[in-house]
Amino acid sequence: MLPDIHCPTIKLGKRSIVVFPYWIGLLILGLLFGLVGAFIVLRDGLHVTGLSNAIPWGLWISIDLSAIAMGGSAFVFGVIVYILRIKRFEAIGKLAVLLGFLGYSTAGMVLLFDLGRPLRFWHPVVYWQPHSLLWEVTMCVVLYLSVLMAELLPIVLEHPLFKTHPWLTRYKALGSLMERAHSFAHSLHKAGPVLAVAGLTLSLLHQASLGATYSVLAGRGIWFNQSAPVQFVFSAMSGGIALLFITSVFVFRVMRPGTVSDSAIYDVARLTGGITLLLTYLRVWDWAVTNYYSFDREVFLQTQILDTIAPYSLTFWLGQALLPVIAGSVLLAAKSIKNFRYLMLAAVIPILAAIITRWNYNFAGLIASISYDPFTPGIILNSYTPTWVEFSVGTLVICYWLLAFSLAARYLPFSSGHDHH
Amino acid sequence: MADSTNKDVEKNVSRRDLLKVGAAILGATGLTQFFSLNSLQVRGKEIPDEGGRKWGMLIDINKCIGCNYCTYACQAVNNLADDMLYNVVTAEETQSGEEYFLSRPCMQCAEAPCVHVCPVEATYYRPDGIVEMNYDRCIGCRYCQVACPYGARVFNWKDPIELSPKSPDFGVAEVENRPRGVVEKCHFCSHRIDRGLEYGLTPGVDREATPACVVVCPTGARVFGDLNDVESPVSKAREEAIVTLRLREELSTEPRVYYIPPTTKKTGPFAGEGES
Repeated sequence: MLPDIHCPTIKLGKRSIVVFPYWIGLLILGLLFGLVGAFIVLRDGLHVTGLSNAIPWGLWISIDLSAIAMGGSAFVFGVIVYILRIKRFEAIGKLAVLLGFLGYSTAGMVLLFDLGRPLRFWHPVVYWQPHSLLWEVTMCVVLYLSVLMAELLPIVLEHPLFKTHPWLTRYKALGSLMERAHSFAHSLHKAGPVLAVAGLTLSLLHQASLGATYSVLAGRGIWFNQSAPVQFVFSAMSGGIALLFITSVFVFRVMRPGTVSDSAIYDVARLTGGITLLLTYLRVWDWAVTNYYSFDREVFLQTQILDTIAPYSLTFWLGQALLPVIAGSVLLAAKSIKNFRYLMLAAVIPILAAIITRWNYNFAGLIASISYDPFTPGIILNSYTPTWVEFSVGTLVICYWLLAFSLAARYLPFSSGHDHH
Repeated sequence: MADSTNKDVEKNVSRRDLLKVGAAILGATGLTQFFSLNSLQVRGKEIPDEGGRKWGMLIDINKCIGCNYCTYACQAVNNLADDMLYNVVTAEETQSGEEYFLSRPCMQCAEAPCVHVCPVEATYYRPDGIVEMNYDRCIGCRYCQVACPYGARVFNWKDPIELSPKSPDFGVAEVENRPRGVVEKCHFCSHRIDRGLEYGLTPGVDREATPACVVVCPTGARVFGDLNDVESPVSKAREEAIVTLRLREELSTEPRVYYIPPTTKKTGPFAGEGES
């Protein structure tokens, strides 16, 4: 049965108010605002955005990349729970599956608006071009989303609503349908290890390929980079697991106290701390390789221009190097610190670092692009300001994520999986 | 007492778990290394043309006066709005500060980055080397735009227009309109080449079978033809030129558009001006 769920409350004078319904109402308002932008972009086409031929990928692609990174904990915990069989992470693993599904479905949703021909979204599945990284990413995301759905379905069906609702006995058809769904979910649950291996493979493939999507483009100078794929994988793991840590504290410690041991949650923090440090180490070496050991005139000019118009180096040294080292060390020492407030504060940094990495990566090669004239090649400075429609669609998908997460945190049975075994 | 042993057991288990996780991460890193960038950058295959033709262009920068007629003719023939440019003419400078005009159609690369990256094979090599679009297949992801080092691709942000402002002064629409939301590009007027060959004409020699930008050029700065045929205008012009160059050759995209660099003004339309 479901354990007692404690919803966060705030005290206003003498009254204590349950935040949940107001929070949901706020998110629905956000969704409505987003739907306006979504309608406009589908009706009028992409010229309502601030995108141009010089900067064809903007805010939406950055959201897309970040959302996929935020789902990065799902494959790690799929392996931990189903292959390594570490039982005390079982409930956290379910939360990771949920975060994975939300991240990927958010990414898919925002991509749909970003396509010039949204109704042809299925073309990559039918018209194969295996040389294209974007094709590979699309196929992996489609397949991985199916894997995540297969992993999520048994968790959703564990809800008492699908087991003990009076309608299941009153309407025979509904009852037998649910029975079939349960036996299907059971076989899916049994296939857990297989799904975990598939998830691991697909995740590693496309998280890496998202970096390679940019880094194979030789003509863009600053993007052409051997280590981007590895960086994208590790930053997705570090940011994704940091998000898992924060949400675990929220879902298990605040809302369902007692279902998961504190030490398991500390271990999640230590895991992301370790990966964050490893990622920062790789990232600093990568900086040295691109800026110091192999001097390239174009990359130097691009970096210089990006620094004059945007805090490119600052965000790197602060957001991707210094703060992650501090946050990583703090998270790694979670068991000595034993303070969830400090740890959650520290866990925000790997998340921001993963987003900054993707934001900078997407815009660096587009904002400062290399000109093609043969005698005095230079760097062309392009500019891009997202329009309100882009922010509106961004709000739509972010509110979708938050709404789905809030409902799941409130209603999903994360801890009652043992009666299956 | 019992409490402390329990604690120890828990500590050991968690350390082992961390080791397991560490091993898994290392294995995962190993996996990502399998897919090196080189293996992912496999080239698309080319099917040889039956006549062994490869269409190419030569642009003599010395002859270009920057009149933009090539751009206008292109817009008229492809029925483009004023802000849609397959062909671009820009004013550039040499190292010595001499100004010249650089006109840039699609380079029709033999190793086209746009073909390598398209996720649905909407852009492909024709057997005669032209990089063409299948507008029915394009999903409008714009990866090709990001990949093209020459900025040769234009996205159809708006609904197609009925009649190009450059029509009928510079020509009339000869190809079907493309829908909103696909990426468009210069195709060396492949419709003219195909029709011309059907009627036994020679592209590059006969006007009807030659790209509109080449035909319209008032100074003859653009020369077109089969690069594999030594008798074609483009091959002859390449032979005569002392030096030719291609744009951003260091990227190994192998463009099929060659340029004669601005060496001397003696061959240009304003040859000898101001010298006497």
